[in-house]
Amino acid sequence: MFKKNDLKMQKNFVLVTFLFIPTILISLFMIYPLINLVVISFTSWDGLSPTKTFVGLTNFKKIIFDSPEVWVSLKNNGVYFVGHLIFIPIELFIAFLLDKRVRFSKMFKTITFLPYIINTVAVACMFMFLFSSQDGVLNSMLQFFHMDKIGWLSDSEIVNYSLTGVSLWKFSGIHIILFLAAFQSLPTDMIEASIIDGASTFKQFYHIVLPNIKPVIEIVLFLNIRGALQIFDIPYVMTGGGPNHASETFTVQTINTAFQYQNFGLACAMAIVLMIIIIIFSIIQKKLFNLKG
Amino acid sequence: MEANLEIKKETTINMSRRSGSVGGVLKILLFIFISALVILPILITVFASFKSLPQIGSESALKPPTSLNFDNYKEVLKSTNVFIAFKNSTILVVASVVINSLLSTMVAYCLTRFDFKLKKVYFAIFLVGLIIPGIVTEISRFGLMTNIHVYDTLLAPILIYAGADLMQIYIYKQFLEQIPVSVDESAMMDGASYFTIYWRIIFPMVIPATATLGILKAVDVLNDMYIPFLYMPGVENRTLSTLLLNCIQDPRTSSIPMLSAAAVIVMIPTILIYFIFQKYIFSGIAAGAVKE
Repeated sequence: MFKKNDLKMQKNFVLVTFLFIPTILISLFMIYPLINLVVISFTSWDGLSPTKTFVGLTNFKKIIFDSPEVWVSLKNNGVYFVGHLIFIPIELFIAFLLDKRVRFSKMFKTITFLPYIINTVAVACMFMFLFSSQDGVLNSMLQFFHMDKIGWLSDSEIVNYSLTGVSLWKFSGIHIILFLAAFQSLPTDMIEASIIDGASTFKQFYHIVLPNIKPVIEIVLFLNIRGALQIFDIPYVMTGGGPNHASETFTVQTINTAFQYQNFGLACAMAIVLMIIIIIFSIIQKKLFNLKG
Repeated sequence: MEANLEIKKETTINMSRRSGSVGGVLKILLFIFISALVILPILITVFASFKSLPQIGSESALKPPTSLNFDNYKEVLKSTNVFIAFKNSTILVVASVVINSLLSTMVAYCLTRFDFKLKKVYFAIFLVGLIIPGIVTEISRFGLMTNIHVYDTLLAPILIYAGADLMQIYIYKQFLEQIPVSVDESAMMDGASYFTIYWRIIFPMVIPATATLGILKAVDVLNDMYIPFLYMPGVENRTLSTLLLNCIQDPRTSSIPMLSAAAVIVMIPTILIYFIFQKYIFSGIAAGAVKE
């Protein structure tokens, strides 16, 4: 047995040794960059020079009033956002069936989640072949049915929809698994009771299951805002933002601003704008969601 | 009527399992359709990796290759450094998983077992971490990496991956809360120190959680392109993801059959992990979302 004083010392010793490294790492790699982000956003830093010239709100003014391309890129993010939003009810339904309401549900669950596990760059390679204008799979199919070829990745009107398709292919699985986990955490007697009361599958779903998984739906809606506004890998690898900037998303543009055009000040300001947009959208969505539910 | 009768079965478990009902068949067809959507792009890529360039142009993509022609794979191995990329990815995975599981359990132990001044700050950081858009904030982390001289070394991503995975700390916290404090107390009676309790009791007790979170972390690290792309431009520091990115940009490897072979090589490790450790992956994701 330890004496009380002894124990307190021991506690402090454990706290210091256990939290020392994590605290340093969190401060260094999360908090310091966050503060730095704000600081740099008020400068015209190029990423290299030792001096950072303070320019006030110039970067923010430039984004808001003098950068139509930024707002165009946000519209592209909107395509991903709406695409995934439309899919959420479908994902909910699929998850509902996967909750032991279909034969072989285990196998189908494995398959549904498979895309999420595959390396995004590999996914990009796969779909570049499918979308390719020369020997592409989709265009060969169209030709087979005597239809005109489509410039899946080269037509500026279509490219964002093609890329959203890839994003849906890759990320729908995670939503389905999250919904499924929520369904499975519901107590079975609740559903059983409703079945005894003679509720149809639809009624079970709408009146009993849905209200009880509201928190998870909210999480998925939030993840969707975050994911859609931050989508980077798919457009960056597959089109590089082309043709002619048509598929540039906000993050692709931010990264290019920093590393291609060496304008770190502006890029940091863009990062802050994005953060604010994410927060505003989350609040609006939460309000709308609670209004409806 | 048929459907209604079915639903009245006592448990949901057996619901609609009866084959032959119209609803059951429709459901199966729906899932066969979904499975085809998932599997066909992968299958087409695997097929293409065994075909020659002229074959790609003349044959249907859905036609299986006539023979297992490994030429594309040999060519990829010759013109890129797959083995080094594989080694780098493995180092990143092992270092990140080991360091992360130790640090995260230590923080979770402190957060669940002690009261201290910084505790509130830690919880505030969790919230902030949720809102921060990771991809763009990387811009301001970039300068830091050069300043502490880890730019273009394997240390840069390791520090990021292992350093502050708030999500994992959070999930560990959930698991630790389920271990009753009486377990700690009875160990204390036997004269165990806090450190012994952590190392001999708590850490072993959360090994199932560590398996789950470690596998999730491994998949994340293996699949991440962004951080190695930003911090390790050097050829000798390529990971599987950045190697494949380079294959797309390099005219020697950017033909469809070559790229397909490279993509298959890069896909294999995570798909293997997935099929072996599926159970853990699902429970980890569930733990992250449902318990909030």
